[in-house]
Amino acid sequence: MTVTKALFVLCLTVVVCGLAYFTALGLTHR
Amino acid sequence: MRRCLRDNSLTLTFATAFLLTLAGQALVGHAEFNNGLLVDSLAPVSLTAYLMSSDFAVDVTENWQSEYLQFFLYIFGTVWLLQRGSPESKEMDRAGPEDDETQRVGAHARDDSPRWAAAEGIRQKLFSRSLGLVMAALFLLSWLAQSVAGTAAYNELRLRNLQPPVDWSGYILSADFWSRTLQNWQSELIAVASMAILSVYLRQRGSPESKPVGAPHHATGVEG
Repeated sequence: MTVTKALFVLCLTVVVCGLAYFTALGLTHR
Repeated sequence: MRRCLRDNSLTLTFATAFLLTLAGQALVGHAEFNNGLLVDSLAPVSLTAYLMSSDFAVDVTENWQSEYLQFFLYIFGTVWLLQRGSPESKEMDRAGPEDDETQRVGAHARDDSPRWAAAEGIRQKLFSRSLGLVMAALFLLSWLAQSVAGTAAYNELRLRNLQPPVDWSGYILSADFWSRTLQNWQSELIAVASMAILSVYLRQRGSPESKPVGAPHHATGVEG
C-alpha cells in the first residue's frame, strides 16, 4: 500500500502543479 | 517489484499513456502553431517556447476540465440518477446517499474502515463526499486555468490581427471560450450517456465496468 499511497499523492501533485503552471503561463502572457 | 507493478498496473499504464500522448500533443501542437506563424509571415518559435506558451496551456487545460467535469458529474449524478439494467447504476431502490449502516459510517464503521469514516461531524461529511469534491475542485481549477491561458492566447491572435485585446471578464463571455468549452463538454456527455445505456445490453468479459456476460439485461448494479 506504500506504493499505492505514493501514486495517489504523485497523481494529485502532478495535476495541481500542472494546473498552477498552465495558469501561470496565462498570467505571464497577458 | 513485479507484484508492485501488477498491483498498480491500471494507474501506471494510464499515467504512462498520458505522458506519451502529452508529449505527442506538444510535438504536433508545436508544428501546427508554427504553421500559423508562417501563414502570418512571422518567425517560428522553438519547442521550449511553445511549451511555455498560452496556446499550449489552453489546449491542454480545455480537455482536462471536461474530463474532470465528466467524472464529477458521474460520481455525483449516480448517487441519485438510475438506469435500469446498467452496471453503472445502483439498484432501483437505492437512489440517494443511503443509510449509515449500508455506508459503514459513524457507529457502523468497522475496524478496517478509514478513520474519517468512523468520525462524526464535519470530518465524516467531508470524507463521505471527498471523491466528488476533489473532482469538482480539479474541474473548477482546470476551467479557471483554461480561461486564464485562453485569454492570453486569444489576445495574441487579436494583436496579430491588429484588434484590441480583451480582459479576462471579456474573454469568458467570448465565443472562443464557450466554443472550446462546449465542444469538450458535448463529447464527454455523449460518452457517459452511451456508457450508461450500452452497458445494459452489451458485455465485456472480465471488466468491472460490465455485468457478467451471462447476467440478464434487466439486472442493475451488478458488476463483472
